[in-house]
Amino acid sequence: MNAFSRQTKSWMALGGVVAVVAIALFGTLSTLGADAGSAAHSVQEVAHGAASHSATDHGHADHGHAAVSVFSLKQIAHSYLTAYMFCLSLCVGSLFLTLAHHLFDAGWSASIRRVTETVASLLFPWMLILALPIIGFAWTGNLHAWFKINPADDHALDVKKVLFNPMAFTVLVPALITLLGLLARQIRAWSIAQDKDGAAHWTSKSRKLSAAGIFLFAFGVTLLCFLLMKSLQHQFFSTMYGVYYFAGSVWTTLITLYLLTMWLAQPGRPLEKVYFKRQQQDLAVLFFAFTVFYAYIHFSQYFLIWNAALPEETFWYVRREVGSWKWVGMIILFGHFFVPFLLLLNQDIKRNLAVMVPVGAWAWLMQYIDMTYNVMPVLHPEGLHLTLWDPIFWIGMSVALGRLFWFEYRKNPPYPLKDPRLLEAIVHHEVPAPGASAAH
Amino acid sequence: MNSNRSKPHGLLAEFHTAADIFEAAMRCRDAGFTKWDVYTPFPIHGMDEAMGLRKSPVGWFTFCGGFTGFFTGMTMIWYMNKFDYPLVVGGKPLFTPLYAFPVSYEMTILLSAFGTLFGMFFLNQLPKFYNPLFKNERFKKSTDDRFFLCIEATDPKFGTDVTRTFLTEKCHAAVVELVED
Repeated sequence: MNAFSRQTKSWMALGGVVAVVAIALFGTLSTLGADAGSAAHSVQEVAHGAASHSATDHGHADHGHAAVSVFSLKQIAHSYLTAYMFCLSLCVGSLFLTLAHHLFDAGWSASIRRVTETVASLLFPWMLILALPIIGFAWTGNLHAWFKINPADDHALDVKKVLFNPMAFTVLVPALITLLGLLARQIRAWSIAQDKDGAAHWTSKSRKLSAAGIFLFAFGVTLLCFLLMKSLQHQFFSTMYGVYYFAGSVWTTLITLYLLTMWLAQPGRPLEKVYFKRQQQDLAVLFFAFTVFYAYIHFSQYFLIWNAALPEETFWYVRREVGSWKWVGMIILFGHFFVPFLLLLNQDIKRNLAVMVPVGAWAWLMQYIDMTYNVMPVLHPEGLHLTLWDPIFWIGMSVALGRLFWFEYRKNPPYPLKDPRLLEAIVHHEVPAPGASAAH
Repeated sequence: MNSNRSKPHGLLAEFHTAADIFEAAMRCRDAGFTKWDVYTPFPIHGMDEAMGLRKSPVGWFTFCGGFTGFFTGMTMIWYMNKFDYPLVVGGKPLFTPLYAFPVSYEMTILLSAFGTLFGMFFLNQLPKFYNPLFKNERFKKSTDDRFFLCIEATDPKFGTDVTRTFLTEKCHAAVVELVED
């Protein structure tokens, strides 16, 4: 991988410009939301309609106020949760790719596996520590409304109280993050052990653990996003919600991995000799596949709810069609699916950094906006309302975790040195260009 | 066809290993032949580059098929439900891209697949019921353990003797045979 380093910086700058333009766009949208006072009113009506079968409606009364002070704990809590869900998506996405590598006994991804192993290992203890404030916010009544609602007063909560009760939340959230983190750490530990002796049994151990781990992963990630994000509106039903979060997570992880490994493969950097066109192409193809998969899942969730038209489900989307939320939804529809889909159809584009770097910046923004779309309408029913806390937590948490990643990554060999599949990943067919064979 | 009996179809070169034919393909590419092909019992990685093949244009057929499918689905449902025979079902609007989406999406996949398959047929000039190579006894081993390279007589650079020398001496072919049309 050569000849990229000189231009990478200018492409990074291009990515930055895309991000700035996009942020300006969302800034404009937030101001749109401010004068939608009547919209906020109608939202409350909708919300009341949704919970009409509940005896009372404390939860919505709590959140009905149109204006939330920027410095209120509620605002801080919601911004923090949005950033946390974004960072969590990168960790679980990396864990999935590590598990998938072992389950499929893959060859091509052996040379980039240390990166996904390390990102996934951030789950424990770092993501666990970062989750503690969320539990604090929830207990103090700043996040999940149901922490302060008596299930006897709310039928929708009463039937879900097995899962949605403060004790279950406090035990399950840290426990699940710890379990997933330990799974990631164990697989990484075996991989590092293999760097020393090169024994093949470490690989088969990882494969067996991955087979069990994929179930833990599926249940764990689903439960985590149900508890942390979906239960912000506990009346909502959607069995696709876990897959929806998973699809967006792997999508974001793949483009992050694409750009990260591309950077690590520049001349003089650790992956220079083990990263080829094949890894780059395959990561981009997977990213493209998850663009479609995400759209498929999110559309299915929306379509089934729209088609069935049951109030206890529709209120979730109706609330997100008020004020500028409607346009945020449109941006997700076009920006999360149509634009990257049509852009990446061509196979050569997938290796064109001038396109892929801005797409990466755009994908990060889309995932963050998607998390905002899930979390924030609870707090700001009138429309998108960005505060300073959003970039602070988003960038702060990403940078902090990025540094932790780099610290952990540098401690060990940059790729699995003696993985039995490594040769498969790095053997590639260098075909001499026309004219070269004449020299023989 | 009888009058063409003696016209040559091309020169068929036989190789014993994948490495040999890979090397030979690169030499043919560099010698500037255009009407030639390689026949192997299994796919050889990197052969496309060794032969200097362009990227296949079949993707455009796929895209056109998918595009047509999507809009056919949308238009069909709009025509049937909103225009030709308006009928309210389940209190839903007469037309919205939402409920037309699953059908349009399936149509996209169906016509993309058709575009790919028939585009490939078209580009490969299939179905083709006859190829002079099928008459060659030796060529039957191309599905077993031999690797073949055939330079056709229609190639502007083709000359029976010159090309034969090229294949034996430059490409180190094990056997070179003239195949008649």
